[in-house]
Amino acid sequence: MENVIKVQGLTKTFRLPHERKSSLKSSLISVFNSGSQSYEIQTVLDDINFTVKKGDFFGIVGKNGSGKSTLLKLLAGIYYPTKGEIEARGKITPFIELGVGFNPELSGRDNVYLNGALLGFTRKEMEVMYDEIVGFAELERFMDQKLKNYSSGMQVRLAFSIAIKAQGDILILDEVLAVGDESFQRKCFNYFDQLKKDKKTVILVTHDMSSVKRFCSKALLLVDGKIAVMGDTVKVASEYARLNQSNS
Amino acid sequence: MLNKIFSKQNRALTRELVITDFKLKYQGSFLGYLWSLLRPLLLFLILYIVFVKFLKIGNGVPHFPIYLLLGIILWNFFLDLTLQGLTSIVGRGDLIRKVKIPRWIIVFSSSISALITFLLNFTVVILFMVFSGVSITWNILWLPLYLLELYVFASGISLFLSATYVKFRDIGYIWEVLLQAGFYLTPILYPLSKISNISFQKLIMINPVAQVIQDMRYSLITKNSVTVEKVFNNGPYSLVPFLIVIIVFTFGALHFKKQSRYFAENI
Repeated sequence: MENVIKVQGLTKTFRLPHERKSSLKSSLISVFNSGSQSYEIQTVLDDINFTVKKGDFFGIVGKNGSGKSTLLKLLAGIYYPTKGEIEARGKITPFIELGVGFNPELSGRDNVYLNGALLGFTRKEMEVMYDEIVGFAELERFMDQKLKNYSSGMQVRLAFSIAIKAQGDILILDEVLAVGDESFQRKCFNYFDQLKKDKKTVILVTHDMSSVKRFCSKALLLVDGKIAVMGDTVKVASEYARLNQSNS
Repeated sequence: MLNKIFSKQNRALTRELVITDFKLKYQGSFLGYLWSLLRPLLLFLILYIVFVKFLKIGNGVPHFPIYLLLGIILWNFFLDLTLQGLTSIVGRGDLIRKVKIPRWIIVFSSSISALITFLLNFTVVILFMVFSGVSITWNILWLPLYLLELYVFASGISLFLSATYVKFRDIGYIWEVLLQAGFYLTPILYPLSKISNISFQKLIMINPVAQVIQDMRYSLITKNSVTVEKVFNNGPYSLVPFLIVIIVFTFGALHFKKQSRYFAENI
């Protein structure tokens, strides 16, 4: 199988100023005592290498603060790497959050088109998908109403339907997506199952081992910005469990 | 490269962002889009009363009210475009932190909104011209070029401002002060000929906004408008405004490109 994502020597550091200077006064003050103009360099990801092949359901696991979200944002092209590179073949559709750009003052219909455009779909492509999206969300009667008049459940349903129907070649999913009530979670997991069956290339970021074992064909474990283990999900899961035990 | 910049996806995104902008702008207002036309009309009324009836500043300039209106509308276009551009990136921080879209599209779509507002205002100017019998000449063909020049200049500034505003919020206040100074240092409310010192005239006309306003008045309304070529007697210095436009745009675009990689983490 061909590689669709190739990550080489990926490093990301953030500069964390001890005191954020975003006004002239504070910068002027700091000019005078330049000694205190300090910042920390935090290395969030350190020399990450991996490849994702076509049809992989690839899990990225780690505890909070291990660098998962940063890696996700780098793969999605939202952050720019400090060092190293990411090669991707095909259209990446990242879902870091549902309903990006949703505006309460616009109608449901306008929001679907806006959201679609933000995910990189043209008007024509969205027109083809529109009925399906609305149908799946079961919101046919409400599409001309403003989003602010939707219940929060309806908003999530609409956002999730767009996410499901508007697919690219490579999907990047944050497991934070699977929040909400039980029936919605089930819907999410059914969707993951369907993706797996369809042999879609998916990258799933999560801290929940059970979903990794259930869906992923391969996984990597991030510990403090480095890859601790990579490969078989069983191996990754046992290492993750061992890590959690030794800490507690 | 142009193919990539104006790809289908980018066009679709720009379109959606501009439509959203417009829908939100007139949200909840009774007359809605009509305000885009009413505003310049009412402005014209005020200008006419104050400058033509009270002050009589423009005696000697034919069609002075329209001359005035055109200047103000062009200035407002410049002001709208740069001020909307300034906050565009920070204002859309939610998008920048969550989706990968070309960052410049956000600035671009805000500039298109300003351009549409301008074109609506401009139709009012054209209507007044027709009604008050301004003779339209072939010089009108220069119009799109001047507009393009002003648009490119304002966009270059917007790109610089929006990227700088992410980390350095003071730039917003600085720019507002500069705009106020610029309004009085540009011959908008007064004819350039009222300034007797020729060196001051030259300094004022180096500003691309002043050059565009005077050129557009010249080609649309009256040969009385003092253009940059007249001030410099067709000398090579009359090219300075155009050079400034190119330099500002190039610098703004490069600065934006360099900074845009880190917008997501800095906002």
